[in-house]
Amino acid sequence: MKEGNGLKAGSNLERVFQAGHFAVTAELGPPKSAEVEVVHTKAGYLKGVVDAVNITDNQTAIVRMSSLAAGLLAMREGLEPVIQITCRDRNRIAIQSDVLGAYALGVRNILCLSGDHQKFGNHPSCKNVYDLDSVQLIGMLKEMRDDKRFLCGEEIRNGKNAPLAEPRIFIGGAANPFGDPFPVRVIRLAKKVRAGADFIQTQCIYDMERFEEWMRQVRERGLHEQVKIMAGLTPLKSVGMAQYMRDNVAGLRIPDQVLERLSKAQDKAAEGIKICVEQIQRLREIEGVAGVHIMAIEWEKRVAEIVEKAGLLPRPKV
Amino acid sequence: MITAVQKPFEEIYRMVEASGKLLILGCGTCVTVCMAGGEKEVGILASTLRLACRERGSSLEIEEATIERQCDREFFDPVKAQVLGADAVLSMACGVGVQFCSELFEGKRVLPALNTRFYGTTVQQGLWSERCAGCGTCVLDRFGGVCPVARCAKSLLNGPCGGAQDGKCEVDKEIDCGWQLIYDRMSALGLLDSLMEIQPVKDWSTGRDGGPGRIRRQDVEL
Amino acid sequence: MEKKKIVAFCCENSSLKAAEALSDPSLLEAVEIVALPCLGKIEIGLVLKCLEKGHPGVLVLGCPLDNCQYLRGNYRAVKRVERVRQLLGEAGLDESRVRMDFLSSLDSHRLAEILQGIKRSEA
Repeated sequence: MKEGNGLKAGSNLERVFQAGHFAVTAELGPPKSAEVEVVHTKAGYLKGVVDAVNITDNQTAIVRMSSLAAGLLAMREGLEPVIQITCRDRNRIAIQSDVLGAYALGVRNILCLSGDHQKFGNHPSCKNVYDLDSVQLIGMLKEMRDDKRFLCGEEIRNGKNAPLAEPRIFIGGAANPFGDPFPVRVIRLAKKVRAGADFIQTQCIYDMERFEEWMRQVRERGLHEQVKIMAGLTPLKSVGMAQYMRDNVAGLRIPDQVLERLSKAQDKAAEGIKICVEQIQRLREIEGVAGVHIMAIEWEKRVAEIVEKAGLLPRPKV
Repeated sequence: MITAVQKPFEEIYRMVEASGKLLILGCGTCVTVCMAGGEKEVGILASTLRLACRERGSSLEIEEATIERQCDREFFDPVKAQVLGADAVLSMACGVGVQFCSELFEGKRVLPALNTRFYGTTVQQGLWSERCAGCGTCVLDRFGGVCPVARCAKSLLNGPCGGAQDGKCEVDKEIDCGWQLIYDRMSALGLLDSLMEIQPVKDWSTGRDGGPGRIRRQDVEL
Repeated sequence: MEKKKIVAFCCENSSLKAAEALSDPSLLEAVEIVALPCLGKIEIGLVLKCLEKGHPGVLVLGCPLDNCQYLRGNYRAVKRVERVRQLLGEAGLDESRVRMDFLSSLDSHRLAEILQGIKRSEA
């Protein structure tokens, strides 16, 4: 990986942004077991199709192979991972430790999240951690990278005479343009930017009007120039999936027109892909949107088709 | 107040059935207010236990008493003899009272009739809600009098998270999103700008995370 | 030892008046009457105490819902009777030992039926 040239981490994702390209990332959900093949298969679908791949961290509080481990497996398959860290399961000691380890193993992108509460998952009686929140987590990673210090203030070196060896990470955060209270959404984004976020990925978008309004407020504050904003998308496989997401995923809104369109279609899956491609095309027109983040949950094999139909292949070599 | 709820009957029965003479001891403060362990509740539990014992052929002998509080030494004086005369005490106080009673009467079995829940308030009769987490470093001045540690499920200091909908927490639709409350309150106070400040990482060591708590005030020691 | 009777908590405004107007007053011997100014005065602990003292059952007789002189007294009584029944159930005891019924002051006929029912079940 190349560093320097004004780059903070030198990751592929960072260089794609720096070169001015519209970036594309996707998501890979690790298996609920130690099965390595699952990661290899999913990585295979995404190779050459995206600039980096998010590896989720015990998403919805269901135990899966760790983001770091699955990310390394993905790296061996030639993909660049975006490791995800939530605040739900790890305290500041564990997180800083994991970040040192991740960097040592070649990871260069980390996405900071608060994390879904454990009540959603398969171990609802576990102890709550949430030692930090996502804003503080972003700040902590920035301090490690730029000030070369741990949260406690100590320098990141192995001894008085050892060299400084800080983790140089490209730092990401999440944003939800659709959650409540709406006026706070942009304030929260501004805080994450000030805390040190380099890139932001949003919750998946179906309500384009609301997203455009959010982007207008973002641009008003000049935030789009301080951070790279990637619009999140999830292609809908079926009407059932759309209804489930609308009713069960915290902070998600799906307008009725989308559901109607899907139910009227002959081939729902194909229509879902079509809607997704159209969304990408519309998003590319919005000022301040620097890329798209495709979260094809358990549908990773259709990502290539979406990226191609949206005219975003081949991915740039930077 | 400290709130609590009564344990299920069967659990209580199993705890006490082997005692010969049982004293059910109520507390007149917090658990009276949350209607879990006051004089009235002592009477109800005692009657129910006696009826159950009769039905099941148990010869358990049950006495009842209620004192002002079970977390201060002097309030136990009026019931000292009764406690000493019992084989076991079923305390209807919060966890503090149960333990304190146990400490005062060495060798006496003191059992908990309640599950202690949280520091909270009576929203209306029959509904109690958590307000304080005892973190040891109160920051209520920064959040318009609404505590993000206790009222946000994730204790976010720079909330909200992305999961709230219609002002309710993602974890439970019956619970208000703490950050919605903070936002509304700060808005009403004209203090929204201060929500832009990044709250630094919390020092959790002043609360339970730092170990069992202890306060020493030498200025008032006798 | 005298056999204990079912305790009937009667509201002065309705069931007590109905009792006074019974054509066969001897029916009242089936129960032990306790008069209350309003069924809203009923206490869970008191009902349990009756059972504890050996009374076979407790009958709570209130005014028809929405006809309470004190507006919601009978609603409160309903909740408390439900709670007592729940407590009995959880303790593995017979919940049907505690019952609630509704009578207006003119329902002597109804009251007579209830008392006859009690007499029959004890025979």
